[in-house]
Amino acid sequence: MRYFKLPDLGEGLQEAEIVEWHIKPGDTVKEDQIILSVETAKAIVDLPSPQSGKVLELFGAPGDQVHVGEPLLEYADAGEDDKGTVVGEVKSGSKEVEVEQFIIGSPDASAGKKLDGGDDRRVMATPLIKALARRLDVDLAQVAGSGRQGLITAEDVERAAKVSHDFGDAFTLKGVRRVMAKNMALAHSQVVSVTIHDDVDIHAWEKGEDPTMRLVRAIAFACKAEPNLNAWFDGKNLSLRPIARVDLGIAVDTPDGLFVPVLRDIAERTPADLRKGLDNLREAVKTRKIPPQEMTGATITLSNFGTIAGRYSNPVIMPPMVTILGAGKIRSEAVAVGDKVEVHRMLPLSLSFDHRACSGGEAARFLGAVMTDMSKK
Amino acid sequence: MATKNAAEKMPKEVTEQVSERVSGKASGKAPEKSSRKTSEKTTHTVTLVEAVNLALRRALTDHPEVVILGEDVGTNGGVFRATEGLKRDFGFKRVLDTPLAESLIAGMAVGMATQGMRPVAEIQFMGFIFAAVEHMVCHAARMRNRTRGRLHCPLVIRAPFGGGIHAPEHHSESTEALFAHIPGLRVVIPSSPTRAYGLLLSAIQDPDPVLFLEPKRIYRMVRQEVEDDGQGLPLDVCFTLRQGEHITLVSWGAMIHETMLAAKQLAAEDGIEAEVIDVASISPLDMDTIIRSVEKTGRCVIIQEAARSGGIGSEISARLGEDALMYLQAPVQRVTGYDTPMPYSKNEGLYMPCVEDIIGTVKKVMEDV
Repeated sequence: MRYFKLPDLGEGLQEAEIVEWHIKPGDTVKEDQIILSVETAKAIVDLPSPQSGKVLELFGAPGDQVHVGEPLLEYADAGEDDKGTVVGEVKSGSKEVEVEQFIIGSPDASAGKKLDGGDDRRVMATPLIKALARRLDVDLAQVAGSGRQGLITAEDVERAAKVSHDFGDAFTLKGVRRVMAKNMALAHSQVVSVTIHDDVDIHAWEKGEDPTMRLVRAIAFACKAEPNLNAWFDGKNLSLRPIARVDLGIAVDTPDGLFVPVLRDIAERTPADLRKGLDNLREAVKTRKIPPQEMTGATITLSNFGTIAGRYSNPVIMPPMVTILGAGKIRSEAVAVGDKVEVHRMLPLSLSFDHRACSGGEAARFLGAVMTDMSKK
Repeated sequence: MATKNAAEKMPKEVTEQVSERVSGKASGKAPEKSSRKTSEKTTHTVTLVEAVNLALRRALTDHPEVVILGEDVGTNGGVFRATEGLKRDFGFKRVLDTPLAESLIAGMAVGMATQGMRPVAEIQFMGFIFAAVEHMVCHAARMRNRTRGRLHCPLVIRAPFGGGIHAPEHHSESTEALFAHIPGLRVVIPSSPTRAYGLLLSAIQDPDPVLFLEPKRIYRMVRQEVEDDGQGLPLDVCFTLRQGEHITLVSWGAMIHETMLAAKQLAAEDGIEAEVIDVASISPLDMDTIIRSVEKTGRCVIIQEAARSGGIGSEISARLGEDALMYLQAPVQRVTGYDTPMPYSKNEGLYMPCVEDIIGTVKKVMEDV
């Protein structure tokens, strides 16, 4: 209790006059010690202190009228004021002020959209169906539900079990292959892709030249000629960012799936340096020791599938890039040279570009520049 | 004058109280004076019960139709001091001490509410509310429907409830589910000073009857900074107190305290991140927020102090079964009191759900695949 207030002295008396203080500020009083005398209409009453403690201040002097409930005395260090006429004990917590943050309703406003088909699609099945799936050894993550709101039914599980029995199990894509599936779907859904095909005559090449090295060089040359194809495109804000440095992503096939490590700054490095860089990248991919940062930030892509097989393709552009050059298998072909027919080595090219970002003219000139450089000695 | 001498030596706030009374304008004109004092935005560091006082003071200041009534709410200031100083500052016509007669309190409140006032009645302890139930259920809750919308009943009944303070018989029950079962009656339970302030203001502004149950065990447990800006918090919506992805813990009232402690301990010791939802309005129930959380976590434990059977926990569990079964990775579990009368005094500890109960149940639920 911090303040001692004039208590109800009974008999409906609402005021009293202070007769005498028996203590002074600074005194330490004990519980039940008489601290002052007051005079009511009926009598002089001695009032005891309700608690022990040090007196901070007295309110009112002898002769003053005070009313019931008015403070007479303040205790020092009394802390909490009275907590009421409680039945039981309401505990007070620490003096610390708690800082509370909360969200009205749900933290995730989008969470309510059920089953929007995203990658994190939850298995929708009743416990009974889950038990059936366990018994039939069916992975529910691979079962498309035919019931209400995509609910997996017993029939779905039984059909999946029969398919597995007849044709063997499917496997869920993981790792690089999974990333490939998602990236390709993303690219296909966003990019307006156009592909131009042509063959370049590489008869002038010296013996034993590495086609990949020549392609790298030709791309660097073409990027100078048509800088808008070495760029990032933001389809949402419709902005094109041509990039001065040419960082070439090179698609590499592995048993685990497609890797695209990046060969940096191909326009400004010496052929020997590039050669070394390319070998390093291939080795790193083969041993799966390529750091993730070496696979991001490409500005243009080369897919040299010709090392395996195939003439032309429709290479898929990975946003935000706008260009990918595909190179097919080199073949020998009869070509007209002046009036004569000669057998030359031909390298088929497939240039895909994002028609949202680049015009057909820019792309054709780019391909032309590639071919010019490729056909040189 | 003798009184003046005394007043000079008193601390400032005490002086104001005394001089008001001495000059005899305490009752009639105090509201004007108070409105000048409190209608500005001020921040107070308060406990839950002090936040209730702050909200009542704000409602009395801003809305002349608000009247407070109940046993000991006036001169005494309420047994828990929830209405302390209100009679002094707003006068006996706005803060009414009633006889010890709950039926009268509720009946009077229904009459006032249907005739344009906004009564805020206090039932001293929830255990004594039953004499008032006839008015609440048979009149207040159905007034709008019965009169085809001609009359409505904007009353608030406040009552401290719940155990944990070693009180005698009838002072510790949690019978909130009885009232949540009544159509037309909102049942709102704050669990922090901030929410006590905001929800009580909204309850008073609501055009229909609201039972506002105050968890008395945490009346003074924490202090928070509450901005006295007159802004209410929405009724009929849950509050997400903690975000987590592994399990959803749903509770309300004083049990929020144990639930938050359990969530923190689970995160620190077991790496289990629990989302904690304070239901706050147990009727009508905001299942959207709870279901959204369970869709994310796949697991749910409901914590209630009330007896186990037929409670709000049962209702939430049933609704999750109806609408979120496909998302559940484990059965919904409840941590509750027992289907017995609340034990007295020192045996309360045997009854009350505790942090260890919650953690044990959460771990059990996490084990189910």
